[in-house]
Amino acid sequence: MNIVMITNLSYYLPELALIAAMVLGLFAIAFSGSRDQSDKIVFGLTMLLLMVSYILLNNMMFAVPRTIFSSALVIDRFGTLFKIIMVIGTIAAIYLGRFSQDILPEIKSEFSIIVIGVLVGGMLLASANNLLIVYLGVETLSILSYALASFNRKNNKSSEAGLKYALYGGISAGLMLFGMGHIYGVLGTIQFEGIADVLSGLTLSDISILLPSFLLFFAGLGYKIATVPFHMWAPDVYEGSPLPVTTFFAVVPKMAGMAVIMRITMVFFSAEGVLQIGWIGLLSVIAALTMTVGNVAAIGQRSVKRMLAYSSISHAGVMLTGVITLNHLGTTAILFYGVAYLFMTLTAFYVTTFVADGCENDHFERFTGLVSRHPLMAILMSIAMLSLAGIPPFSGFVAKFNILAALIEKRYFVMAVILGLNSVVSLYYYMKIVRLMVLKSPESSAPVGGFGLLNQAVIVAFTIPTLVLGLFWQEMMSVASSASLLVK
Amino acid sequence: MAYLLNWILWMPVLGILGLFVIPGQSKGAIRYWSLLNTAITFVLTIILYMNFNTEVAGMQSQFDIRIPWISQFNIYYALSVDGISLPMIILSGLLFFLCILSSWTIEKAVKSYFILFLLLEASVMGVFMAMDFFLFYLFWEIMLIPMFFLIGIWGGENREYAAIKFFLYTFFGSIIMLIGIVALYNLSGKGIDSFNIVALAGGHFRDLTLNIFGYDLPFNKFFFVAMFIGFAIKVPIFPFHTWLPHAHVQAPTAVSVILAGVLLKMGTYGFLRIAYPIFPSASVYFGEAIAWLGLINVIYGAMCAMAQDDMKKLIAYSSVSHMGFVMLGLAAMTVQGMNGAVLQMFNHGTSTAMMFLLVGILYERSHHRWIVKPDGSRGFGGLYTQLPRYSIVFIIAMFASMGLPGLSGFISEALIFLGIYEKFTTITVMALFGLLIGAAYLLWMFKRMFFGEVNEAVTGYSDMNWRELSYMIPLCVAVVVFGIYPAPVLDVMRASVGKLVVMLSLY
Repeated sequence: MNIVMITNLSYYLPELALIAAMVLGLFAIAFSGSRDQSDKIVFGLTMLLLMVSYILLNNMMFAVPRTIFSSALVIDRFGTLFKIIMVIGTIAAIYLGRFSQDILPEIKSEFSIIVIGVLVGGMLLASANNLLIVYLGVETLSILSYALASFNRKNNKSSEAGLKYALYGGISAGLMLFGMGHIYGVLGTIQFEGIADVLSGLTLSDISILLPSFLLFFAGLGYKIATVPFHMWAPDVYEGSPLPVTTFFAVVPKMAGMAVIMRITMVFFSAEGVLQIGWIGLLSVIAALTMTVGNVAAIGQRSVKRMLAYSSISHAGVMLTGVITLNHLGTTAILFYGVAYLFMTLTAFYVTTFVADGCENDHFERFTGLVSRHPLMAILMSIAMLSLAGIPPFSGFVAKFNILAALIEKRYFVMAVILGLNSVVSLYYYMKIVRLMVLKSPESSAPVGGFGLLNQAVIVAFTIPTLVLGLFWQEMMSVASSASLLVK
Repeated sequence: MAYLLNWILWMPVLGILGLFVIPGQSKGAIRYWSLLNTAITFVLTIILYMNFNTEVAGMQSQFDIRIPWISQFNIYYALSVDGISLPMIILSGLLFFLCILSSWTIEKAVKSYFILFLLLEASVMGVFMAMDFFLFYLFWEIMLIPMFFLIGIWGGENREYAAIKFFLYTFFGSIIMLIGIVALYNLSGKGIDSFNIVALAGGHFRDLTLNIFGYDLPFNKFFFVAMFIGFAIKVPIFPFHTWLPHAHVQAPTAVSVILAGVLLKMGTYGFLRIAYPIFPSASVYFGEAIAWLGLINVIYGAMCAMAQDDMKKLIAYSSVSHMGFVMLGLAAMTVQGMNGAVLQMFNHGTSTAMMFLLVGILYERSHHRWIVKPDGSRGFGGLYTQLPRYSIVFIIAMFASMGLPGLSGFISEALIFLGIYEKFTTITVMALFGLLIGAAYLLWMFKRMFFGEVNEAVTGYSDMNWRELSYMIPLCVAVVVFGIYPAPVLDVMRASVGKLVVMLSLY
């Protein structure tokens, strides 16, 4: 038993490395002499251990899929790829947090530590194999996120964001638990594989209880990835939170939620029946609404951060449309989308952060004439915007193309058209920034402080995958396509 | 020789790489480099023409390049050329070369301008050469990016609105097309040829149905309409034409030339290359509707042109009218009609390019384009006595655009009418009035600008200089030569167009 546990632990090393980073970080804060010193130590330490975790995850891509800890967690390529995306997102957020003025200098180390805590919760979700772990993951993710949202304690909006997030989070977690309770009550198991077995042979009366309980269950998850109608918190929280935190929220909790929705859908509902129709119907409607509402609301925004928040809502909707296809191409497309989305979002948020830092706020007007002040940054931001809108030859286009291909493979033409029209709508507001940056003359000629050589190099590094995956995506497709789910 | 198409496609990209190295201050070097680059591309297209075997019909038969690209979707980097795309490739090569000369006066952000311009050339060449559907779409979309910036940065006063409208409109059309492309890929079995434009052709999708909300819709008609909208926005066909006047008026001269001369042809090229061959039965079914839309284009475009006070807007609407003739020829689906349509695509490219270039030349002197100013006074007057060289070139361009016998427009329009008469007699007769209105608005514009009392403002204008003549004369020669002896162009396209007509006649 013990030996099994220890071998199991070896599959949990990436998470253990992160937990070690948290603990060591806390010790470093407690025992180091000055604030400045501890900041440096914690930054170095967290970066190092995140890298270690990344390398371990990379190696695990080649491991044989298995379940660990008495089937509580499942280690498969699907989850691992999601974890890799989340780790990269976290590295980017911590790096950004170190340079952003939005994170108060006296709590920079705490920021790194809390962010890693959220990441651990996210990774738990990505490999959850029973309902309890899902709940545990969601709560780990959420409770620390509330703190993160209100991280800029001198700013009223940030405090408001934290409170809103906590209230919404509390209610939706309650709903989710309520739903899970019913699911357990009817099926008598919390193991995914067990649920999948029982689901195939249910009577109609059981299903009539299960349908609403799955709806409640979905409410909890849908809240995490901000799907309509559980999205109300997202714009306020995204706007109120400090920019590095927003960057983080746009990637990690979203990917974690997407991973768990994907897993649940593939495991529970791959058998045809009333439940599948109900769940897929629910997801289709929600996906269509999420895309549309996110995009339409984004048009009128004044703050770039808020616009990006709405745009990330609509991207979650696009990824959900990949879930409803329930086929291999759909899974592949979502994984590809995740990778593409990660890098374009990072570029967009990085540029926004530095512009907002240099110009006091993040309104659209602050981007005016950026091309004459920082030509390279304006070009990279334009690339990110075009890519988010789905214009070739950038990765965002390929990602949408894959989702479209998956949808049409299942003959979901209406969904495909909705997705297409949404791309057109999104182009309008993404181009608004490009228009301001490139076509208008600048409001001042002063350079933006944050764009040092190193930061520019980092932004370039984040944009390279957007370019490469737009033209040479065969390799990434085969990685995503091999990242299948383990149902056990 | 086997990689000639690669060279033509990537030559502008090489030019862009070169431009990155040249510092932004040395404007002269940037201009000469771009000129050299486009000249080489043009020479390469001529070499392509020399080596082209006119007897062979259809794509995928000569100058083939086919390299696997994305194996999961069977996407290939596949280029080829046939009698329909070759005239377009030569036309693009010529116009881009001449437009660099006309862009000599651009002073704002010269380097970026030429980089975007060469990017535009590469993507246009790509559209006309692509044999893989995915690749085709890629070039079709990439083209929007340089266009957006070229209109948005170097355009007129209302440039931003025009740029974003153009971008959104075209993107809307192409995303619908993309859904069609993916649907075709799925329904043709996701095999090795599922993105191959040539292999998809031939009406494989005739009997398939499509279930939407419980209704069985005929697949080929449904997706013919999807493709139609994508291409119709580009042509532009009424009622999808509203972006065109804005884009044209706001765009800088060279970009207007490319827009009217080349980009509009991409729409009709799409019909010839994709919509017709892949959905022949639907094309025949919608033939009459296309003819009516073409007729509306001809008459409505001409009427709108008549009403304009802005010279450039007038020319822009005349493009709408002339593209209507192309649509009429396409709707005819007869040998003469189709040949006429392709020839008209080529001829309109040269004649409308002349008109836009002439507008640009005058604008550089007058800084306005009003035939009649908003306050009612005449914008120009008596130009004929002041600018004799300019006036002669203008007369040639105008008569070519009008379709006077002996100049290029006449032959293609005559062929189109010959082709369509037997099929849609009523439409033909009505469309003839379009020619009449066309003559009216052009001559009226000419009268108001060139004759009459000499306007005081006009007296200071200098006549065309050598640089301006150097890019107008080749076009004048083309217009006259192809008006008397169109055989070089017709010979090239005959086999390919014939093959398409034969295929359509089976349905």
